[in-house]
Amino acid sequence: MLQFITRRLLLLFPVLIGILMITFAISHLVQGDPCIVALGEKATPQACAAFRERFGLNQSIPVQFLRYIENVAHGDLGDSIQFERPVTDLIAERLPMTIELTIGAMLFSTTFGILFGIISALKRNTIIDTLTMLGANIGVSMPVFWLGLLLAYLFALVLKNTPFYIPPSGRLSPFVSLVPLATNWHLTNLTGIPKFLISFMSNSAILNSILTGNFALFKNAIWHLILPCIAVGTIPMATIARMTRSSLLDVLGQDYIRTARAKGLYNRKVITKHALRNALIPIVTVIGIETGALLSGAVLTETIFALPGVGTAMLNGILARDYPVIQGFTVVVALIFVLANLIVDVSYAFLDPRIRLE
Amino acid sequence: MKKSVLFSMMAIAIAFSMVLSACATATPTAAPAAPAATTAPAAPAATTAPAAPAATTAPAAPASPAATTAPAAPAFTPASLSAPDCTYGGELKSIVALDAETVQFTLCQPDVAFPAKIAFASNEILPKALLDSTGGDSNKISQAPVGTGPYILKEWVRGDHMTLTANPNYWGTPPAVKTLVLKWATEPAGRLLQLQSGDADGIDNVGPDDIATVQKDSTLKLYPRVVDNVMYLGMNNTVKPFDNESVRQAFAMAINKAQIVKEFYPAGSTVADEFVPSTLEPGYTPGLADWPYDPAKAKAMLTAAKFDFSQTFPLSFRDADRSYISQQPKVAQEIQAELASIGVKVKLDQQESATLLQNSAAGKLTFFILGWGEDYPDATDWYDYHFNEQHKDFGTPYPDIVAAYKIGTSGTDNATRQKAYDTVNQLIHQHVPLIPVAHSSSSVAMKASIGNVIIGPYNENFEDMTTSSGQLVFVQNAEPISLYFADETDGETERACRLLYTPLLDYQWGGVGSQPALATSYDKSADLTQYTFHLRPGVKFSDGSVLTANDVVASFAAQWDAKNPDHKGNKGVYEYFTTLFTQFLNAPKS
Repeated sequence: MLQFITRRLLLLFPVLIGILMITFAISHLVQGDPCIVALGEKATPQACAAFRERFGLNQSIPVQFLRYIENVAHGDLGDSIQFERPVTDLIAERLPMTIELTIGAMLFSTTFGILFGIISALKRNTIIDTLTMLGANIGVSMPVFWLGLLLAYLFALVLKNTPFYIPPSGRLSPFVSLVPLATNWHLTNLTGIPKFLISFMSNSAILNSILTGNFALFKNAIWHLILPCIAVGTIPMATIARMTRSSLLDVLGQDYIRTARAKGLYNRKVITKHALRNALIPIVTVIGIETGALLSGAVLTETIFALPGVGTAMLNGILARDYPVIQGFTVVVALIFVLANLIVDVSYAFLDPRIRLE
Repeated sequence: MKKSVLFSMMAIAIAFSMVLSACATATPTAAPAAPAATTAPAAPAATTAPAAPAATTAPAAPASPAATTAPAAPAFTPASLSAPDCTYGGELKSIVALDAETVQFTLCQPDVAFPAKIAFASNEILPKALLDSTGGDSNKISQAPVGTGPYILKEWVRGDHMTLTANPNYWGTPPAVKTLVLKWATEPAGRLLQLQSGDADGIDNVGPDDIATVQKDSTLKLYPRVVDNVMYLGMNNTVKPFDNESVRQAFAMAINKAQIVKEFYPAGSTVADEFVPSTLEPGYTPGLADWPYDPAKAKAMLTAAKFDFSQTFPLSFRDADRSYISQQPKVAQEIQAELASIGVKVKLDQQESATLLQNSAAGKLTFFILGWGEDYPDATDWYDYHFNEQHKDFGTPYPDIVAAYKIGTSGTDNATRQKAYDTVNQLIHQHVPLIPVAHSSSSVAMKASIGNVIIGPYNENFEDMTTSSGQLVFVQNAEPISLYFADETDGETERACRLLYTPLLDYQWGGVGSQPALATSYDKSADLTQYTFHLRPGVKFSDGSVLTANDVVASFAAQWDAKNPDHKGNKGVYEYFTTLFTQFLNAPKS
């Protein structure tokens, strides 16, 4: 297994180069002069010339690409054109939000997806099954932006003055603050990876609250995550529910399940130990694929809920023709996706001893 | 098995060594930055050398009396910056601190709009010490901004919100709103939801579809802004059929402006009967008749002008929201339909935003939708840009318009200028280089419970608004890029900086006239080439340091002199500075 993981990790390098090439090409193919976008419509030719020189945009595309690759090899993703700050700093600020959102949405979708799938499979051809699958079909058909607005409208406006009120947007309430960990821990002089990690933890509202023991912050962060997680997690939940049902029904019809029941095992044990474990492999595969859906859904969800995550950063980067930001964040998202799929592959071996990773 | 483990170990070792080597080489790559810094010290020589004449005139006077009466008070050494001459192409000739509370600007040519320009937020005054310690770096300044505005920065949670608290050293009336939170949301629907749910007290740029919702809600109140923009249809007089003045005039009568404003513009928007809005004074000519909407007459004029009704020509536009238009494709379709009703065939030509601007500036467009948002409230910002000899958008410049607007630019009194602009407006009406269509309004929505709200084209009086809690949450379109507006162009940075810093003059609440700010008054020479500003005594920056004329000189020098060590900013282009004052001193050769 170690060899398998190592090989997959090493394969990351060509994958990364491929991603970099494609992202670089696509971001430079987008029409529009970054100078006009950055400096405004009234930018003078002189100002644009200075701007292009400053950011190396006056060089040929191949030269720009080679320089970029060289910098990336040194761990430097470049500086944002818009903010004139290192892209790694922006990633450390924005990535925690998206990871919290993705994990929250994944927990929501897998928990409820598997639960509804099991219920539906066990109550096959009953009204419960019909209703559950109808719900799943509606869920899978619902656009994220529409569901997001609907949820915000329901919980923030209709339930405005009730205990069920949930804020419609933002990472935290206006007067709730994150604790600056680097300052508090007197670690402001850090550089490189330690600086990145401290910044990451500082900007993760949940980690920040745990590390500082700030329960009010923790509660506020979770409160603001509820609606976005439901919005982005509904489609994966519906997909997982349908897959669980179908997979479980398939397994429940196998001879070994009949044997297990014949030898007198309790139904719960048959389901959890024998049926569900075998049914999980296709479900886990779907979960891996849905991670990509969650990451792409994050762009829309973060925009609707005004969350400072990777999605909004990438959207702003695209609108501002901020090439280093587009490229840097794409690499990060691609890495997460590849790693998620690696975890899925590794989990096969744990779920089914017959599977060997080579 | 052993072989595979060995392979794995080797692979990990290789990967680890790659990471290590990458990290190790990262340090030397940072080193080349140092030589760049070493070249910088050459700059002060450039700035101090021209400063010599000023230094010889002023230094001794304030220093010696202070030394005898109050030994602890530091002597004031006036700073200055001068261009060797005016051949560098910019408007400024020198900035001189005459004494601690007086600063003098000498210009290369008369500029009646100079006070209006000075009041623009990009001319914010920062402490010289801060500029020097940060090297004028936007990022460093943004981490701990020091200004003379009503607020100080409490925290900036990047990507999420910014909290400002009242500046205890503020020179004006202490803010009624003690804590102001700026948030941002790109989607108008998202901003409205925050307002309706009570999470926000006010939102910027209410979506056109949301205006009715706000107006119907008794707990909310809509505040339309005074218009400071125009949407127009440009026509290129070097391309057929627009090389014929009668055709251009006929087109002006074929466009139903009122219909376009009604259908596609938010509440408060008006039909543009002239190129400039009616609030611009001098500039707008009251009573000047616009071309009436008369499609029958337009068709007759086109027939008389032997217009070829079989031809199809492009109407170029872009799908980009601007202050003067928000639904370009729909407006383009409406114009296409209106022209089709008189038999004129137009093909819609949607272009990418920057591409359209480049084509327009190169004079490559035939018939196009474009517009203008005011930078500073003076007619020079409108006419000088659009009708100068180099402007190719409308084809060959119109010599009579050029001559007339130049009289307005160089005029020293409003009556003379207005007379010149009356001529310009009459000539625009006659030649029709463009058809002004609409002056768009944008709106702010606030909770109805918030009192004393004034929303202007250049500012909002957050500090004077009244709330029950003394706190206010305002949601704008986007996050400020930095907290140093001198080198930014976005409205969000402008708003945040206006709350943290103050220019010498400021725009009146809700209006466009300038009023005293850090300067209580100014004198101008008869030929409008010299302005002397008298600073408000006793003003302190938020860090407690005292404002002096040297801070003013340093703030302008950081923008003006390209070789100044503090000339870094964010992108280093100081776009607004060149818009206002034409050119940098010591600008690099392009």
